[in-house]
Amino acid sequence: MMETLFYLFSGFRWQDALDILLNSYILFRLYVLFRGTNVIRVLLAFCLLWIASQAAVPLGLIITNWAKQGVITVAALIIIIVFRNEISSVLQTKNLKSFLWGIPRYQSHTPLNIIIESVYELADKKIGALIVLPLKQGLDSIVQGGVPINGKLSQEMLVSIFWPGNPLHDGAAVIQGDWITSAGVILPLSKRKDLPSSFGTRHRAASGLTELSDALVIVVSEERGRISLFKENKTLNIHNRSGLKKSLREHTGDDSTKKGFRHQTMELAAAALISLFCITGIWFNFSKGMETLATYEVPVEFMNPDQKMEIISSSASNVKVLISGAKPLINSIKSDQINIKLNLSQSVVGINKLSITKENIVLPPGIRLKKIDPSELDITLDTLLEKEIPVQPNWIGKLPEGLIMKEAKALPQTIRITGGGLALKNISTIYTEKILLDKITESGTATVGLVLNPASLRLKNHNKIQIEYLILKKSTL
Amino acid sequence: MKSVFVIVAILLLSAANVYSEQSPAKMVMIQTVMCESIENFQAVNPGVVFSISQGEVFCFSNFDPVFKKTYVLHKWYKKDRLVFTMRLTLSPPKWSTFSRIQIRDADKGPWRVEIRDPGDTLLKTLRFSMAD
Repeated sequence: MMETLFYLFSGFRWQDALDILLNSYILFRLYVLFRGTNVIRVLLAFCLLWIASQAAVPLGLIITNWAKQGVITVAALIIIIVFRNEISSVLQTKNLKSFLWGIPRYQSHTPLNIIIESVYELADKKIGALIVLPLKQGLDSIVQGGVPINGKLSQEMLVSIFWPGNPLHDGAAVIQGDWITSAGVILPLSKRKDLPSSFGTRHRAASGLTELSDALVIVVSEERGRISLFKENKTLNIHNRSGLKKSLREHTGDDSTKKGFRHQTMELAAAALISLFCITGIWFNFSKGMETLATYEVPVEFMNPDQKMEIISSSASNVKVLISGAKPLINSIKSDQINIKLNLSQSVVGINKLSITKENIVLPPGIRLKKIDPSELDITLDTLLEKEIPVQPNWIGKLPEGLIMKEAKALPQTIRITGGGLALKNISTIYTEKILLDKITESGTATVGLVLNPASLRLKNHNKIQIEYLILKKSTL
Repeated sequence: MKSVFVIVAILLLSAANVYSEQSPAKMVMIQTVMCESIENFQAVNPGVVFSISQGEVFCFSNFDPVFKKTYVLHKWYKKDRLVFTMRLTLSPPKWSTFSRIQIRDADKGPWRVEIRDPGDTLLKTLRFSMAD
């Protein structure tokens, strides 16, 4: 258990915590912005569908899996088309503050008393009225016409909109918060056949809107001055002010009691926690579930060498490193992010066996080391020395028939070479580059370079030397 | 007086004997060359480049004088790898000697022969090449 936990949290970086918190907040914000609408319910349905389909694969439910794939493929399109109103209302009607961190408490600022008094004044005077209180769902694609008012809600203003003779009195007035946003709005008529025969056009319009949205519509009949409420395809006749106030409170969520506020806070806290758990689960699924292996060939970097010493040879200059980690992290690794550093401060002249351990390898955060190959290097170090060494020409080819090279003298005869003491110890001659004999017919001079083996040796002065040679005819015996 | 003379003579002889033991007179190498062959105790076609078609190469050394029976070493190296060592006896009063190597196609390249005395002192290095 502890090992599992250690494995899960090994390589956990501050970037991972930021990743989880950021995406949890985005998920939480989506919930806050869309809560109360059908979007959340449909998204939950899609989540359940996805979980069911995941279970369908191991169970071998072929058609279920096939159907799921089809539904999920078009899911995004369906959500955008079906919920275009909700999405546009969230994106358009909110300011930046409410979009990013504001928490709307339903229509908590709607002055219900003004609406109630206005409605009763209209009823008393038998003036027909149609008042719409939208909730979360946008109405733009459902209603038609209307004149933007965007005026502060007041009893006088609301009554005057429906006053007979007012050009806007035939349509509906839309109230959002404490603002009358528009008036003269045409609502879609209901096509239901079970509505009472006493319902006129105003009632049918109210019913039609509530069939298509989550809005509440208040209707004041012109003939009898009756007040009716329409919500979620239901009709409620209002007989007194308290009944109207209760219904409006239920709709707007204007539950000013401490209990109601606590309920909302609890709901949001639960949503925040669920968002955090969901994103954490998804993160672990991505980072641990998609664990992958990769091999990198990394050059070895030698640190703190003695200035008087030189690295003569190394059993390997590159080391293969097998690493594991989340696939996105592995894929994002750049070659310079993996380093192998070996400390030579304790090394001596000769062959040094240096082990490569985890401490020598620098890996990016979140990446674990699995294997090092080779795990040990043989590094040969040597002290720098100078040595005077004789030069010998390296002749190749064939002298013309009848000739012999009697003498060959290098100028200078010796040269100074700098190199590791061990390398110089076994060197007693420096040879020239190959000198071709075929075209030599008489004594002369050749200018040639020198061959240094091992290549770590350095010439002190001369890169090229001269070879003076003496050619004679062979004596025939 | 006669006895004193005898004692002095004995002491002188003893001292001479001790001196001769401490620093014996060494042989003198008057000539050493690489050559294609040897005829009548003389090097034929001495040189520094030899064709493998020749089949063999000689290292000829001539010592004069040689004070006592001794030896020299001919150490043959191909590049810096010792190929073989030949011990050559020298006898008074003078001596010529040689070592030789049979050469094949694989022997092409730079060679050297080191001539060393019994105390491993380097007397001379001869450098040469085997070529086509």
